[in-house]
Amino acid sequence: MSGADLAAHFLENAAKAAAGTHRVSGVEGLQGAIARIVPPDVPVHCPGVTEVEKAVAGLFADRRAEYAAAAVTVEEVFGAVAETGSLVCASEGGRAVQAGLLPSHHVAIVRRDHIFATLNDLFSAVASAPPTNLTLVTGPSRTADIELTLAIGVHGPEKLDVIVV
Amino acid sequence: MSHGQTTLSFRENSVRALGDDALRAAMKQAADTFGTRRADAFAPVTAVEALRDRASAIREEVLKDLPGYVERFAASAARAGATVHRAKNATAAREIIARILSDRGAKRIVKGKSMVSEEVDLNAHLEAAGMEVVETDLGEYIIQMEGEAPSHIIVPAIHKNRRQVGKLFAERLGVPYSEDPQVLTKIARKALREKFLTADAGISGANFAAADTGSIVLFTNEGNGRMVTTVPPLHVAILSIEKMIPSLADLPDFIRLLPRSATGQPITSYVSVITGPRKPGDATGAKELHIVLLDNGRTEILAGESRDILKCIRCGACMNVCPVYRTVGGHSYGWTYPGPMGLILTALLTGMAKSHPVVDASTLCGACVEVCPVRVPLVPLILQLRRRKVREGFSGPMEKRGMALFGKVAASPFLFALGQRLAALFWPVVRVLGGKDVAGRLPAPARVPFRRKAS
Repeated sequence: MSGADLAAHFLENAAKAAAGTHRVSGVEGLQGAIARIVPPDVPVHCPGVTEVEKAVAGLFADRRAEYAAAAVTVEEVFGAVAETGSLVCASEGGRAVQAGLLPSHHVAIVRRDHIFATLNDLFSAVASAPPTNLTLVTGPSRTADIELTLAIGVHGPEKLDVIVV
Repeated sequence: MSHGQTTLSFRENSVRALGDDALRAAMKQAADTFGTRRADAFAPVTAVEALRDRASAIREEVLKDLPGYVERFAASAARAGATVHRAKNATAAREIIARILSDRGAKRIVKGKSMVSEEVDLNAHLEAAGMEVVETDLGEYIIQMEGEAPSHIIVPAIHKNRRQVGKLFAERLGVPYSEDPQVLTKIARKALREKFLTADAGISGANFAAADTGSIVLFTNEGNGRMVTTVPPLHVAILSIEKMIPSLADLPDFIRLLPRSATGQPITSYVSVITGPRKPGDATGAKELHIVLLDNGRTEILAGESRDILKCIRCGACMNVCPVYRTVGGHSYGWTYPGPMGLILTALLTGMAKSHPVVDASTLCGACVEVCPVRVPLVPLILQLRRRKVREGFSGPMEKRGMALFGKVAASPFLFALGQRLAALFWPVVRVLGGKDVAGRLPAPARVPFRRKAS
């Protein structure tokens, strides 16, 4: 599968799991998408560490260092898995994986060349030396504990947006 | 969960359950929903049988050398910085965990769903030691508030309807009554968020443990499992020793099978792989990670004729399709694990003297075997237990005589046909004499028996 097909496959499966999906190219495309997705003036946590994050960190009027106090976390994540439509969030490089968990809206940016085709591809890449925390995130937080009726946003985000750049 | 030596009252509980209309409505709705969702989830998967074969083979592989895999896991987890404890039985597990928590002055504990912690009756022990233990899975939160035990291993409050939950929340949390699951979920989110942020420790279970890396793996949907394992400074994981998989690279097939079998999802919202505590340079993970490996009878099961039950990955698919479970609900079984896998574990882990009534809780229809993702031979295992029950003298004299009589009748075409005629002939009398109880539960005998139609 080519990189473009892989991205399409990933976004299709992520959408099935109720994530908002976006595909952009270049810095302007990314900035435009963020401006559309993130409401102005809400407290945003953005680590601003990776190149991609640096490109968008300046867009937020109320940028917070603490994710627990933010309404939205905007970050680049380790990668994605096309087979399941999952984001791969990893603690590698001092990342706080829970930053994408506490705020009610998680906006995750994935670089197109960081998409794995299958779960096997991901785990054969990380299984020899896994980071402290590796979490596959597929859609928003959900439960069906009351009458098996789907409810969104239990302890994690009620809204998940993924952007492939 | 009661651990006394009194015999489980499966029969009495079932009769009570049959009279509980709310329970029966909830169970029926759940059974129908589960069936459809599971089928839909597997529909697009190609080569499902090959996938089940692979997963089954991996579980076999583990059982061939379980002590070896446990050793390897313990060494790998220790290398990753975790402290590994071995608990021979429930008492040891409770004491180890209570000591870890009290040594560090932990007062408020947030907990993710763990059936193994139910098995060892952990909460009551920690509460008796003066700690506040908060269940954070929505279903567990509901039943903890109600003072009940889980009735399903995946959906603990499956026996409750939305009106019961709405009323409970209104009474206990002082919120306006609502029966909208989305509103009730938001109420729980708000109430529990503060607990997460102020907890001294988190306790979780684990779905799998990878022997090569020492990682534990958790499948969750709500995000409470992630909170419990990453927000408090101390994380205690309790798991039974058979949760091993040889390598983290074996995980993909189980990710494909477990959520589909359990809830009919292609994957749960979150699959977390945790390898050791927070290390220098990390910004994720508890500062201290303790892993408690519980035996509690597994080593003994491994050496006996029922060892294949240890292949079970606790998806709950067998209970969802079981005609007995679907009719009487999980509480009727009287111990931690209900349904087909549950009655086998109950008999093996609590002993025949206590558990012999639940050995009968199966029609042997084989629906459980059809759906088991790792091909546990559930029906043969139940038959073995029934033979053992008879051998050990736990079947009543009436049952023995009745079965001996039926054996004779069923072996003779003449007597069998006579029996069928007599049943049809006397049915009107039986129905009147037996009243609503009999007529409501027993189907009327066919006027023309099936074997005469078929011949």
